[in-house]
Amino acid sequence: MPSYDVELKDIVKDFESGGGSVRAVDHVSVEIADGEFFALLGPSGCGKTTTLRLIAGFEQPTAGHILIRGRAMEGIPAYHRPVNTVFQDYALFPHLTVEQNIMFGLQMEGVHKREALKLAGESLEMVRLPGVGERKPHQLSGGQQQRVALARALVKQPAVLLLDEPLGALDLKLRKNMQYELKALQRDVGITFIYVTHDQEEAITMADRIAVMNEGVMLQVGTPKEIYEHPQTHFVADFIGETNFIAGALIERGADGYGSVRLQDGSVIRAQLSETLGGSAGAVTVAIRPERIGISTIPKALEGGTNPSEITMLEALLVDSQYIGTDTRFTLRIGESIELVARLQNVNEREHAALRIGQKVKVFWQDSSTTVLDR
Amino acid sequence: MTNWLKRNQKNGSFLAAPTVVWLLIFFVLPLVIVLVVSFMSRGRGGVAELPFTLAHYERSFGIFSIILWRSIGLAALTTVVCLIVGYPLAFFISTRRRRLAQQVTLFLVILPFWTNFLIRTYAWRILLGDEGTINGFLIGLGLISEPLSLLNTQFAVLIGLVYGFLPFMVLPIFASVERFNFRYVDAAHDLGANDMRTFLRVVLPLTMPGVLAGCALVFIPSVGAFVTPDLLGGTKGLMIGNLINNQFGGSGNMPLGSALSIVMMAVVMLSLLVYVFANRRDTGA
Repeated sequence: MPSYDVELKDIVKDFESGGGSVRAVDHVSVEIADGEFFALLGPSGCGKTTTLRLIAGFEQPTAGHILIRGRAMEGIPAYHRPVNTVFQDYALFPHLTVEQNIMFGLQMEGVHKREALKLAGESLEMVRLPGVGERKPHQLSGGQQQRVALARALVKQPAVLLLDEPLGALDLKLRKNMQYELKALQRDVGITFIYVTHDQEEAITMADRIAVMNEGVMLQVGTPKEIYEHPQTHFVADFIGETNFIAGALIERGADGYGSVRLQDGSVIRAQLSETLGGSAGAVTVAIRPERIGISTIPKALEGGTNPSEITMLEALLVDSQYIGTDTRFTLRIGESIELVARLQNVNEREHAALRIGQKVKVFWQDSSTTVLDR
Repeated sequence: MTNWLKRNQKNGSFLAAPTVVWLLIFFVLPLVIVLVVSFMSRGRGGVAELPFTLAHYERSFGIFSIILWRSIGLAALTTVVCLIVGYPLAFFISTRRRRLAQQVTLFLVILPFWTNFLIRTYAWRILLGDEGTINGFLIGLGLISEPLSLLNTQFAVLIGLVYGFLPFMVLPIFASVERFNFRYVDAAHDLGANDMRTFLRVVLPLTMPGVLAGCALVFIPSVGAFVTPDLLGGTKGLMIGNLINNQFGGSGNMPLGSALSIVMMAVVMLSLLVYVFANRRDTGA
């Protein structure tokens, strides 16, 4: 039996606003395993921070249940929950020194002052910030304050650490460094992290699993790979990375999880059906990542071992190309109205140079790289 | 013009000249006169004359010390009551989510200022008198048969002072709580502090500048109050302000009045020192 650190069961949260009520979290259910790095990803206002605040106990759910380490959290105030939070603006107490900030939580548990001092020193070392204990938070840089906030939360050895866009206020380079450090730290301490972010790249590089949220609904939960490769909804496909959306009509459903889709130019392609696809045949969207599309001037045999029946190949017109450093981005047109973007890595530039704008080419992809979604 | 202003920004002390001259003539000079007079003898009609003497200070700290201590005590009590009443009120006002609710409650706090202080204090005489509203109400209910003696007591003075100075406590605390970031409350709860400890360890220290300013603004004018004790205190509620006031009347004693004024100023200065010290320690400067 798997051991879950956090279980959300059909959580609903409504906020009163001007006579009406706004649903911030809409029937969210999820289980988060012990020691997992779990990211809540979504645009601002999607309910991810509210979900975090519900787990922390700063807000009470309108309906549903929250369990932490199997224990129901109804009626348990924030100060009795085995979770700690790293706030977006850090929320370090400005009237206390760094050391006093870190000791605050320990003293609330009744830890003796001398012991608390020792633990505070150790946790500052853990976040690689020794020797700043006597300073006030405002005397530290943003990155240092971030580390203090982390130390203050981790010193309590919570079952779950909640992080609310902790790197949001840092500049890009520092943020990249902290991503690696946070991930390494999480591996070391083995504490479950629930990490709220609107940055898809951050979520993909750090998390074991990602939950994508929009308008209070948890749209998809999965590993970064599952989320990226097999988005189950149009929103997820669009929010994470760049995606081509090709409109079409589903004309046949196969038993193997694939179906036939007629595109607007009349060609019929084979594509993988998403699990959430609606029941009846009809208008659909085929999603495919730009880097999954190949371009060729000659219809040569594709990489060995691939069954040609699992490959889709279409005639296309090369409309535009754009050099973007590591890749070149090609805009292609199939028929009259279907536009596609393909990204090819710049490893064989001579091959790319052979592609000229206005040229007729073949585009191809493996059928398993596609996902058919409701439009 | 702007260049001229810029050039003189740093050494533009002459801009303060009108104020300096004004203060020299109307503040420093009178203060020196009061100080000198306080060491002179009482002449006919209460005016000052030579020789110099310490007698008035002896009386100030001797026979009149009871009134001095009463003034300090009443002012301190006023401050404490204002704080106990004012802090929750200020907190309530500044945590209203709706802008209108906040503005209306703030307006209600300031509303009494629209009526003359003297008139408002007279109103308390009507409320507290033997045949006043409160006694009339209690007798009418049959709770008491004889009127309670409320007027002309120290209690009446306390009520009058608290009533008069409460806004001066509420407004600075309101400003402090307004600036308070309630994320700190979440953080304290998150770290295991219950509501009481969160208040004592986080909310109160961070709103302390407002508390200290409010205390100074209530305590200082309370020590020297004379209208309120004059109208509500009678002889039992006499304060140092009344005593000073009396010395400058017909059969007064100007040197004694001056000495009492100097003593009162010393008390105020001391309390200001406490304020500055507490504030500095609090802001960690």
